[in-house]
Amino acid sequence: MPIVPSLRLTRARDVARDAAARSGAPAVDPAPLVGTWVSFDAATRGIVRVVVASRGGRLAVRAFGAASPAPHDWGEVPGDAFAGSVDTAAAVGFTARYRFGFVDTLLAAYLNRRLLVVDSYNAFGDGSGRSSYFSRDHFHQPAESASRA
Amino acid sequence: MTRLQSVRADDQLGESASAPPGEIDVSPLLGTWWATDKTTESVVKMELADRAGSFVVHAFGACAPAPCDWGERPAVPYAATVDSRDAMAFSAVYDFGFMETLLAAYSKGGILVLDTFNTFKDGSGRANYFTREFFHR
Repeated sequence: MPIVPSLRLTRARDVARDAAARSGAPAVDPAPLVGTWVSFDAATRGIVRVVVASRGGRLAVRAFGAASPAPHDWGEVPGDAFAGSVDTAAAVGFTARYRFGFVDTLLAAYLNRRLLVVDSYNAFGDGSGRSSYFSRDHFHQPAESASRA
Repeated sequence: MTRLQSVRADDQLGESASAPPGEIDVSPLLGTWWATDKTTESVVKMELADRAGSFVVHAFGACAPAPCDWGERPAVPYAATVDSRDAMAFSAVYDFGFMETLLAAYSKGGILVLDTFNTFKDGSGRANYFTREFFHR
């Protein structure tokens, strides 16, 4: 396939190898991410569940944190979907940001085959002395959710 | 122990723990990290440095005939837990004007794993894209 020249770039991966990529066609399709994702680790102290939806073509992310007696509902925030390359459409990852006031949490997630890996980068701003920290959770889609998506 | 605000169990300090004094120690991450894939088309090298208390990243993209120098940007360090002080991850944002790149990286077993989330702003029709790479010092 021809390499499309003249676009600005920061690395070779930024180069579109298919002229169709310049037509505006490859908006990222969030469908592969959509559904309810449940943590493999039933005893996780991190994120227990993530619900990903497409609202008018825009990604919406709703996460639930491990808490007792019930998970902590973080609410829904907009997310951004990412493809595997500049000239493909299927989403393979997303980001979303929660600003809780006392802590900012960046979710940086990607698909690995049929698993969703969610890395969270958590920065405290409450003067509690807690360290900002990184955590990583692995999720699967229960059969019912996968079939709906 | 005072119960602190949290959105998940991991946000709480351990039963007998208190927050250790001081800032996160970025020294475990400092140095020059090279992509393990010598033919990568993404990030070829990252330099992580402490500039008088400011943690910074300097990344280089795969370009010919020489790597593209992305310049130096502030980075945010993260520990493994709320009561650890050793940095093991970082995030940073590059705004190139035509594109914004989020770097999200963590270390594991001497390897640095870098995810990039790349958002185009130039109307070129290129799809926003994700990459994942491995680095060694």
